[in-house]
Amino acid sequence: MWRPKKKEQEKNIDRFQSLSSEQTVQTLFDTLEHSNDFKRYKVGASGWVISYVSTMCDDKIINDTLLPVLKQHELQSLEDMKDKLPVDNIRVTEDTKKIEENVMTGYIIVQEKSADQKVLCVPASKYEGRKVSIPEVEFSVVGPKEAFVESIDTNMSLMRKRLPISQLTFRELKMGSITQTRVGVVYIDGIADEDNIQTVFQRLKNIDYDQIIDSSFISQMISDNSTSPFPQLLDTERPDRVVEVLVEGKIAIVVDGSPHVLTCPTTIVEFFSASDDYFLPWHLATAFRLIRLFAVFFSVLSTPLYVAILTYHHEMIPEELMSTIVASRADIPFPPILEVIILELTIELLREAGARLPTKIGQTIGIVGGIVIGTAAVDAGLTSNVLLIIVALAALASFTTPVYQIGNTIRLIRFPFLIGAQMWGLVGVAMVMMFYIGHLIKLTSIGRPFFAPLYPLRFRDLRDAFIRLPFSKQSERPLQTRPETSRRFNKEHVSERRDIDE
Amino acid sequence: MNKIDNITSVHVPDKFLITPMLVFFIIHSMQVGVGILGFESYISRYSGFDSWISILISGVFIHILLWMVYQSLQTGGGDIVAIHQQCFGKYVGGMLSIVLSVYFLLLALTVLRTFIEVIQVWMFPSLNLKIFSFVFLLLIYYLVVGGFRLVTGFCLISVILTIPLLLLKFFPIMVGNFNYLYPAIDHTILDLTRSTKDGILSFLGIELLLIFYPFIKNPQASKKWAHFAVFYTVLIYLATALTAFLYFSEEQLQYVTWGTISLWKIVEFPFIERFEYIGIALWMYVIVPNVCLALWGASRIPRRLFNINQKITVGLFCVALYILILLFDDRQRVEQLNVFANDVGFYVLLYIPVIFLLSKIMYEVRTRHER
Repeated sequence: MWRPKKKEQEKNIDRFQSLSSEQTVQTLFDTLEHSNDFKRYKVGASGWVISYVSTMCDDKIINDTLLPVLKQHELQSLEDMKDKLPVDNIRVTEDTKKIEENVMTGYIIVQEKSADQKVLCVPASKYEGRKVSIPEVEFSVVGPKEAFVESIDTNMSLMRKRLPISQLTFRELKMGSITQTRVGVVYIDGIADEDNIQTVFQRLKNIDYDQIIDSSFISQMISDNSTSPFPQLLDTERPDRVVEVLVEGKIAIVVDGSPHVLTCPTTIVEFFSASDDYFLPWHLATAFRLIRLFAVFFSVLSTPLYVAILTYHHEMIPEELMSTIVASRADIPFPPILEVIILELTIELLREAGARLPTKIGQTIGIVGGIVIGTAAVDAGLTSNVLLIIVALAALASFTTPVYQIGNTIRLIRFPFLIGAQMWGLVGVAMVMMFYIGHLIKLTSIGRPFFAPLYPLRFRDLRDAFIRLPFSKQSERPLQTRPETSRRFNKEHVSERRDIDE
Repeated sequence: MNKIDNITSVHVPDKFLITPMLVFFIIHSMQVGVGILGFESYISRYSGFDSWISILISGVFIHILLWMVYQSLQTGGGDIVAIHQQCFGKYVGGMLSIVLSVYFLLLALTVLRTFIEVIQVWMFPSLNLKIFSFVFLLLIYYLVVGGFRLVTGFCLISVILTIPLLLLKFFPIMVGNFNYLYPAIDHTILDLTRSTKDGILSFLGIELLLIFYPFIKNPQASKKWAHFAVFYTVLIYLATALTAFLYFSEEQLQYVTWGTISLWKIVEFPFIERFEYIGIALWMYVIVPNVCLALWGASRIPRRLFNINQKITVGLFCVALYILILLFDDRQRVEQLNVFANDVGFYVLLYIPVIFLLSKIMYEVRTRHER
C-alpha cells in the first residue's frame, strides 16, 4: 500500500492512469461526454461554448449570472468576460489538470471555440450535505451541542469560529489517487511542536492508496503500530473537543467526507476523558472520571475473574457467598469458561445487531435480547444468574467510555484474559495483563509515548489524567505535546492570597 | 590511552536514556524479588527476633557498596565492561564481564524458578511446568526485546501496583503479639554478623547499576534516587520482618518457609478470603521486572563485548532458561539453586570493593601519567 511499490507493478500502467495523463481539453470533454449529466452547448451570438457537470453546479449561477452576461454583452475575449462576470474567483487557464479538477468540482468552463485549450473557469459549485446537528456518538448533557459534518469547509468554520486567531493554521493536501480527498492538517502555530507537525506531514505524504473514504482510513494508515488493537489517534465528532486539544498543542487532521476529526499525539488516558469532565466542577468531574476508569477495569476483568475463581480458586470466596453462587450454578452443565463464552458472545451478538439496525428496531432488539434471552437462558439452565448479572454489568460498563473507538478495543481485549484465566487462573490473568501493559508502554502516537503520563511519569500531566484538578492548577500545557509555549496563564494571579474582609 | 577510550567508550542514543528518578524504581525492583516472600525464617536463624537489627546493618553496608559502585563508574567511564577492559585488558576483562553476564542469567533463573516453585506449592501443585514456563518466558522475551525503556517502565508500574500489598500487613499486626520482640538485643555480635550476611543477600541487585549506568540521563542526579531506593527496600524488609516476628513465635517461624505468603492467608474481607492467591498473582508484577532486568543485563554484556544483536542473545538466553528450569524440577534442587545463587551473589558483592579500589588506582595512575 504505502510502502514503495515494486518495479514490476510500476511497469504495468493500467488503462485508468493512461486515460488521465497527457490529455487535452478536447479528450477530457470526450471522456466526460459519456456521462449524461455533463452538459456542453453554444450560447449567444458569438458562440461561446459552455460545459459543466449539471449535478455539481448551481442552476442559479448559470441562469441568473452567467447566461445573461453571455447573451447580452458583446464580449471580445475571455479576459473581457472575466471582468464583466459578477462572480469571484474566476480563472483563465490552459492547464488540463486544473480544468479537470475544476469541472469535476462544479465549475463552469467557458471556451471561445470548442477546440480551444484556453478556458475560463467560473465557480458555481453546489454542495449537498447535512446540516450541523447534535453529536450522537459523543453525546453530552451540558456543553456545546454541535457536531462535525461531512464537509471539510463546514468543519473548518466550526473550529475557526471557536479560535478566531491568525495562528490557527490549516494546510491542505490531496490524498487518494482516485478519490482525490481533501485532507487538512490543523494546528496552532507557535504552540504545536514543529517535530510533531513534520511527523504528521511526513506520514500523510507517505500514504499511497487509491481511496480515502473516511478519516479512519488515515487513522489506520498513519498509526505507529498498525497491528495494535489500541487506536493511536483519537477521533472525535465534537468541535469543542478538537479546539480544546489544539490549544494544548496537538494537531488535528480533518478529512473531507468524514464527520470525525483525528487528533494526535494522544495518550491512553485521553480516551477515557469526556468533554463533560470540563463542564462540571473539578471534584465532580474527578469522581465521574474515576468511576469510568473503574467501569473499564470491571468490564475487562470481571468475567475473567469469574472464570479464574470458579475454576481454580473457589477457596477465595467466603462461605456465605459461596452458597449463593453454588445455588445459582447447581444445574449448569457447563464449566465456567464455556458458560462465560456463550454469554459474552450473546452480548456481542446483540450489540452488533443493535449497531446495524435503525434506532427504533435497535431498542426492541435490546429488550428482546437483554430480558427475553437472558431470562430464558437462566431458566433453561444454560447460564447462572450470577454470571448474567456480571456479564450485563460488564457490557453496561463498557458503554461508559466517552470515545467510541476505545469501546471497541475493550470489547475485544477481554477474550485473551478469558483464555489466561482458563489456563492458569489468577496467574494467567496477571500474565495477560502484563502483556498488555508491556504493549502499551511500547506504543507511541506520532512518535510520542502512548502510555504517558504513567510512563514516562509526568506529574504535570497527571493533573489532568485520572483526576482533573481545577483550572487554576493547570497553568501549563501538558508535556505530552511538547508545546513550544507551555504557559497558559500567569500563575501568580491565582495564588495571590487575600485576607478576610479585604 | 586514546586507544583504550576508543574501545571502551559507551554511547547510548538520547532517546533511550531514562530520567534519574527512574533509577529508584529500577534499583528497588531489582532488589525485591522472590526472596522477600520467605526471608523471615532464614535471617532469624542465628539471631532470632533481633535480626531486624541485622537488616539495618546490612542496609548500611549496601548504601556503602552503592556509593562505591557510583564512584567506580564515575572514574571508570561508562559501564562494567569498560572498567574491566581498562583494569584487566581485553581478554581477562572480557572474561570477567562474561562471568558477570552468567551471574545475571543465574539470578534470572533463580528468581524465575523459585517463583514457579511458589506457584506450584501454593496454587497449582500439578502445574504443567513445560507449558507454563514456555509461556512465561515468551512474555519475558517480549518485554526484554522492547528494550531498556520498556523494562524500566515495567519496574515503575510494578512498584505502583504492589504498594497496596503493603497495606495487608495491617491484618497480622492487628493480631500480633508485641512481646515477641522483647528482650531486644540479647544476641552476640557474632550472631548478628552471621545473620547480617544472610540479610545482605536479600539486597542483591545494586550490581545491575554497573551495566545500565550509561542509560541514565544525568547520572549525578540519579545518586540520591538510588540511595532512596535502597532505603525504601530496607524499610520494606524491616516492615515485612517485623510483621512476621509479631505474628509468629520464634520457634514456629523456623518451620514457615514462605512467611509473607502465610501472612496473606489471614486477610479476610466479606467478599474475598485467602488473599494469598491475589498476592501471588500480583507478585508476578514484582518477579517479571526482576527477571527482565537480569536478562537484559545478561544480554547487554555480550552486546557490548562482541557487538552481537541483543535480540539474538535474549532469545538464546530464554532458551537456556527454559532448559534449566525444566532441569530443576523438584523442591530440593530449587533449594540448592537458591543456596548456590546466594553464594555467588555474596562474592559479587565482595567484588564491588575490589572494582572500586582498582578503578581508583587506575584513575590515579592515569592522571599522574598525563601530568
